[in-house]
Amino acid sequence: MKTLIRSFLRCTMLVSWFVLCAAQAAGNDAAQTLSPLPKPFAAPDFTLQGEDGKTYRLSDYRGKVVVLNFWATWCPPCRYEMPSMERAHKKLQGEKIVLLAINVGESEDGVFEFTGQYPVTFPLLLDTEGAIIRKYPVIGLPTTFVIDPRGVVTYRAVGGREWDDEQLLAQLRKLLKP
Amino acid sequence: MMRNHFGNISLGSFLPAIRRVTLAAVMLSLALPAAAVINTGTDAEAELPYWEVVEHGVSIRLVQRLPDQTRGFFQARGFSIADSELIAQSCVFQTVFKNLAPPSDPGVIEYNLDEWIVHAGGAQRRMKTREDWQKEWTARRAPKAAQLAFEWGLIPTRQTYRPGDYNWGLSVFNLAPGTPFDLDVVWRQGGERRSARLKGVVCAPDIHVSPAAP
Repeated sequence: MKTLIRSFLRCTMLVSWFVLCAAQAAGNDAAQTLSPLPKPFAAPDFTLQGEDGKTYRLSDYRGKVVVLNFWATWCPPCRYEMPSMERAHKKLQGEKIVLLAINVGESEDGVFEFTGQYPVTFPLLLDTEGAIIRKYPVIGLPTTFVIDPRGVVTYRAVGGREWDDEQLLAQLRKLLKP
Repeated sequence: MMRNHFGNISLGSFLPAIRRVTLAAVMLSLALPAAAVINTGTDAEAELPYWEVVEHGVSIRLVQRLPDQTRGFFQARGFSIADSELIAQSCVFQTVFKNLAPPSDPGVIEYNLDEWIVHAGGAQRRMKTREDWQKEWTARRAPKAAQLAFEWGLIPTRQTYRPGDYNWGLSVFNLAPGTPFDLDVVWRQGGERRSARLKGVVCAPDIHVSPAAP
């Protein structure tokens, strides 16, 4: 009888361990996906100066998919995802998909210094007063919105992503199809 | 034939019941979410102690942050020395909250820091959130740029994570450096309230390194 009870307990423990390991394995394989917004909304327009000295207006990108990222240099996941955004930007050359990264609350000099360590070639916009981030439903950094060619915010990502991931790029390209 | 305290009973007569109980246990294990696992250790990146809850689809990690790191960070963001000291002396952790569910899982995770309970010195208290600090900074007339960095640097008071979502942010426990405490973390997963207790969490001590005497 003791042997049977031991076998039963071993079996139960083994199954519990398997379930836990499966959960942890799923966790390690972070999802490279964008969550569709339950209620898509018209992207609030804005005009901001870029770190490159140029002026950028969101509505000038109507007809294109815009990946709009809110970030700060001191935010670790913002830094981690920046190289993958740059790779995505390069992969998407010639396609109607653009990346705009809005820095929140930092100076032009601070962002310029950051680009010394993380070279990027897509526009880095400066929301020095934090006025634009308040127009969007951002709760934590980084948060990224995907705006479709009609100017409607359709997807949101909270936290960093591997932006050059093919599955994720496929989600963006799908928005270009009528 | 097997002899035990039930007397002479054949093993075969037990087998169907054992099979049923084992199957029920297996089904129960699969149906119920795995119990929360509490991990502690040294965070590889920060090289400081961490306390972590890992449950099916959720991970919440608190990493100690030295008061000196906090002082430096907030002074660089425009806070006065006095204001930076106030934050540094308030027990700050780096908190990482993740929804680990695969994209196929519609599991939405929500939390509200107002539901988290800090147990220290025989008393219970809530955390000091963005909204609490906002009042404090207004009263202390902290520079706007500094307030902005502080607001976005803190873990949000309330947040909703879909699969793949996560946040990193500072959490403030309003305790003196070196204080031990337990923390009840609470979240909602698919609408169901879940909680776990992190025991023996310790605020980082305030270490002042003086230059060596010549």
